[in-house]
Amino acid sequence: MIIRVLLLLGLAASGWFIFLKRNRLPFHIVTLFALLGVGAVAVVVPETTNEIALLVGVGRGADLVMYVAIVSVLFVLIHYYAKFVDLQHKVTQLTRELAILRAETEASAKTATTTSQSD
Amino acid sequence: MVPRRTDTWVVIAAYNEGRVVADVVAGVAREGWSVVVVDDGSRDDTAVHARQPGVKVLRHAVNLGQGAALQTGIDFAIRQGAKYLVTFDADGQMSTDDIPVLIEALQDADVALGSRFLGSVDGATKKRMVLLKSAVVMSNRLSGLKLTDAHCGLRAFRAEVAPKLRITQDRMAHASEILRKIKSSGVRVVEVPCTIKYTAHSMAKGQGGMQAIRILFDYFFRAA
Repeated sequence: MIIRVLLLLGLAASGWFIFLKRNRLPFHIVTLFALLGVGAVAVVVPETTNEIALLVGVGRGADLVMYVAIVSVLFVLIHYYAKFVDLQHKVTQLTRELAILRAETEASAKTATTTSQSD
Repeated sequence: MVPRRTDTWVVIAAYNEGRVVADVVAGVAREGWSVVVVDDGSRDDTAVHARQPGVKVLRHAVNLGQGAALQTGIDFAIRQGAKYLVTFDADGQMSTDDIPVLIEALQDADVALGSRFLGSVDGATKKRMVLLKSAVVMSNRLSGLKLTDAHCGLRAFRAEVAPKLRITQDRMAHASEILRKIKSSGVRVVEVPCTIKYTAHSMAKGQGGMQAIRILFDYFFRAA
């Protein structure tokens, strides 16, 4: 019984975190929410997982839960990896712009000083 | 018509090269080429050593990698009106004598690539040569080009084709990326013999076998 409370609390906490961090609902967030919901159902009525498992040709409910969890986590992982690469490109662009801008403003500041000196 | 040397910008990416960068930069600038050094967020005094009369020094606020640094230098040089661009290593293993040969080759090509195996390699260990040779095979497989060298950092290209060869690989996979883009964009490419002198310093900084795995990973999974 204690494990059920712990699992439900864990799922609820995850959901709360996801919701707190983002209030939009893109596909990967929906996936996470769906997992939380399905997880809660599996905790409250564990027998249903067995029935569904047999229906799709998996021996035990616990195995089905694991398979679904692994594939879903992989999906979310890949999604965030793509995001990470994307973010890195943005950092590159920003750093590049900053470097070029700094060199150009330095150059024009130098020209400005020489011009004002010649006045 | 012989192009003015100032129309040719030599782009040098430098990361923690404080010990050698001054001589390399001075050597290139002395020949009359325009020089831009991109200090890729070095933790040492690379930028101080690179700062010499007539040399533009750009600094990445954070370390991004050689590919990113080269592209920053290329962008800057083009904004300064560069007609020809050369990528040159900061670690002192290249010879400035090869630059005019590359630029000359651009009279009937868009890209000129330095080739160690058409030219010469000094001071490389046996192990390094084997690694380089297998890199050539691998690189030709990846790019579909038939070249005698793969990842020699010495290249020259016309400013017009720079957008087609834009580097998005921030780290070392940019070398393969450029070759792939040369092939896919159909620009005219020639190989030019070049001389590479390995020193203890450049060997220590060079790419080992383990890094090859990292480069392959970047090439396939970090594409923009």
